Amino acid sequence: MTAGWKRAFFTLTITGATLLLVFPVAWMVLTALRPASGVFYVHRGTEFTLANFAEALAKPEMKAAFFNSAFIATFATIFSLAVTITSGYMLSRFQGRASSLWFGLIYLFRCIPYISWVIPLYLLTQWLGILDTYLGLLLPHIAIHICFFSWIMKGFFDGISPEAEYAAYIDGCSRWGAFFRIALPMATPGIVALGILSWLYTWNEFLFALILTGSRTSMLTVRMAQFVHETGIEWHLMSATAVMAIGPALIVTLFAQEYVVKGLKV
Amino acid sequence: MLALILPAFAILIAFQIVPILIGANASFRRWSLFNPEKAFVGLENYARILGDPIFYGTVLPNTFLFMFASVTAGLLSGLGLALLLNRRFRGERIARTAVLLPLMVPPVVAAIMVTWMFNDQFGVVNAVLTALGLEPIPWLISRWTSLGIVILTDVWLWTPWFTILILAALQTLPAEPHEAARIDGAGAWPLFRNITLPLLRPVLMVCITIRLIDAFRVFDIVWTITKGGPARSTEVFSIYAYKQAFVYLNFDLGSAASLIGAGIIMVVGAVLYKALSYAVEVSR
Repeated sequence: MTAGWKRAFFTLTITGATLLLVFPVAWMVLTALRPASGVFYVHRGTEFTLANFAEALAKPEMKAAFFNSAFIATFATIFSLAVTITSGYMLSRFQGRASSLWFGLIYLFRCIPYISWVIPLYLLTQWLGILDTYLGLLLPHIAIHICFFSWIMKGFFDGISPEAEYAAYIDGCSRWGAFFRIALPMATPGIVALGILSWLYTWNEFLFALILTGSRTSMLTVRMAQFVHETGIEWHLMSATAVMAIGPALIVTLFAQEYVVKGLKV
Repeated sequence: MLALILPAFAILIAFQIVPILIGANASFRRWSLFNPEKAFVGLENYARILGDPIFYGTVLPNTFLFMFASVTAGLLSGLGLALLLNRRFRGERIARTAVLLPLMVPPVVAAIMVTWMFNDQFGVVNAVLTALGLEPIPWLISRWTSLGIVILTDVWLWTPWFTILILAALQTLPAEPHEAARIDGAGAWPLFRNITLPLLRPVLMVCITIRLIDAFRVFDIVWTITKGGPARSTEVFSIYAYKQAFVYLNFDLGSAASLIGAGIIMVVGAVLYKALSYAVEVSR
């Protein structure tokens, strides 16, 4: 009896929680499939259309925004991983003043709110003449990740016993050789996981994109937020854009779950 | 050895440390679009921000309310969900996939979805209220409902993160203490209260620390849902500093505000860091 009730309670809560987590996305997908006339009563009517997607993409700057976001996300991921792999390795394998100083610096700068450096970053990129260019977006987006990724990378290398590297030294391998041939391959699953998350973080990022882009390099999240305010009532187009924007997220959730869960460990 | 951190360090200096110094410099000067002289004014900008009733009367209370409400709610629901998911059941895979979804969704998109769902005329929430025979509520025209919606959005976005980290910790807990307590006849609640919770303390503290620091700087969802309105009543710290710099075009005031916020979160961060080390130490 009690076991039965417990079971029913469990099933009910877990189903409820799952629905709450999925509902907003499902509702948006549904809205995206309704024609303009049906959108205000999404829950009534049975007309569906795919035309919203094409119409949303035809909005000015929209295709470019998709391209720019993907472009910046890809390159920011490559470069930020490249520079933080060695930084995390250093934090994990070397003890002493330099290492603890670097770790302190990372914790400190991880805490500083984005707004405190993105306001003057606007002045800096303007002065360097790279405001509203790919370079002016890419470099700050690498910088965003330095502190946090170094920290995570340290965790990956901490999880790998240095024994294998010692064995490699004895066999005549150099430090760099041991790093590239032993430590790096062993950390690869973690690095891939972090790479996936990094791509999504940059794709999803808003504040830096808002301040450091103009019309030449518009980014998807910024373009969408503008969309809400300039055409507040075209919810079918808004939803269609949003559905396309979560495409990468859906793909990752469905096909790379294991990696994501691994990459989130702190 | 230093070569290993050189690239990361160089980027950190050029695109984080140097900007912060530029911002600090601007905060001591009169630095706006219409004023080319940039005269040194000392602490005047700081005094103006700290003396601004909107800053201490609205912005800071909103920011702290947001921090504590969204982290508490996210932590509790994440913990609950992790405990539910920490067993085998049919449909487990579906539930786990669903948990991961909000974490991947861009916050701006989440904010847009929520704005649409809480739309006063055509939103699904008011449609449900009407169907239940209740009055529809104009959600986004008052301060407290607007803040509530922003917090709800944040909880939706971050509950999965708490869930995944806590679930991972639950799965690595040693089995013996639980078994011993169960043999001694401990019920579910005392078992959770006296064994599971203390064992989870380190991971809970890490989660709370990271989320509190990140919640302090929230920008995207507030900007998309309310833009700080109605009538500046839902402005949080980042929105306030952004508006000073890019809407009113006072880089000096914006920089001063952003550094005051940075100072506040450094203090909070230091306290949390101590608490974190203590919690990890105690549970060793």
